[in-house]
Amino acid sequence: MTARANSMAKRIQVAGILLIAGLLIEALCLLGARPISFVIFVAAGGLFLFAGVVVFLFSLVSARPVSD
Amino acid sequence: MPHETTLIVLLVLLSAALVGVLVARPGITETRGGKILAFLALFFLPILCGAMGLSSEMDRSKTTAFCLSCHTMEAYGKSLHIDDPGHIPAAHFQNHRVPPTEACYTCHEDYAMFGTLKVKLHGLRHVYVYYFGTPPAPEDIKLYQPFNNRECLHCHLGARSFEQGAVHTADPATLPAVKSNQLSCMSSGCHEVVHDIPNLKTAKFWKESQ
Repeated sequence: MTARANSMAKRIQVAGILLIAGLLIEALCLLGARPISFVIFVAAGGLFLFAGVVVFLFSLVSARPVSD
Repeated sequence: MPHETTLIVLLVLLSAALVGVLVARPGITETRGGKILAFLALFFLPILCGAMGLSSEMDRSKTTAFCLSCHTMEAYGKSLHIDDPGHIPAAHFQNHRVPPTEACYTCHEDYAMFGTLKVKLHGLRHVYVYYFGTPPAPEDIKLYQPFNNRECLHCHLGARSFEQGAVHTADPATLPAVKSNQLSCMSSGCHEVVHDIPNLKTAKFWKESQ
């Protein structure tokens, strides 16, 4: 695996971990029916999802093109 | 739990599993199929899950059960069962003038632009006070602003009982004053009995038939 692919793989893993955390928080909050679930869903779940998507997009735009 | 919420939870878990595959094997993103999977699992599905979940949470946050799940609101929930037709919230709730499953939200929504957002922001403040502050006693809870007739007129405007009611039409100045919010619907002598929490202990309650 090249250094470029390695760095991208790491970013994808970071994005994935953030997204898994966000998705699991959202799943747990959807199972709860109390106002605190709503707050955690929006604040924590939303934040992790946003961060995960941003890291993924950053990994795409920061990837250097492969030279022939 | 509603079926749609169950489906959203399943979609969220499926998305998490797909993301897990990419975290465990990031090398698969080097193939075309892997790139498509990465786009779906790391971008499209999380946004879809977030949007669907938010919509579901917003709908649930409008329910009477949601509002009454805080201990502070229990007395207000009880007041919906008072056996007195002159008691405005109880009469509306018991006669389905408001949807019983969304009774609180229907009357306390701000029927103006961004009204839902405004009441949800108030709700966030309530949650903060409930968990991190000192919640007031139920009888000490006050509205942020005097109740606006706009919320009543959202349903009653144009209704025969409102437009042609004997008391409403007795003085020609009454209806224009009510419609312009200069005369509150809850003025003394009109529909003044609202939740009436201080007198809840002595109230007679309606028993809903099963």
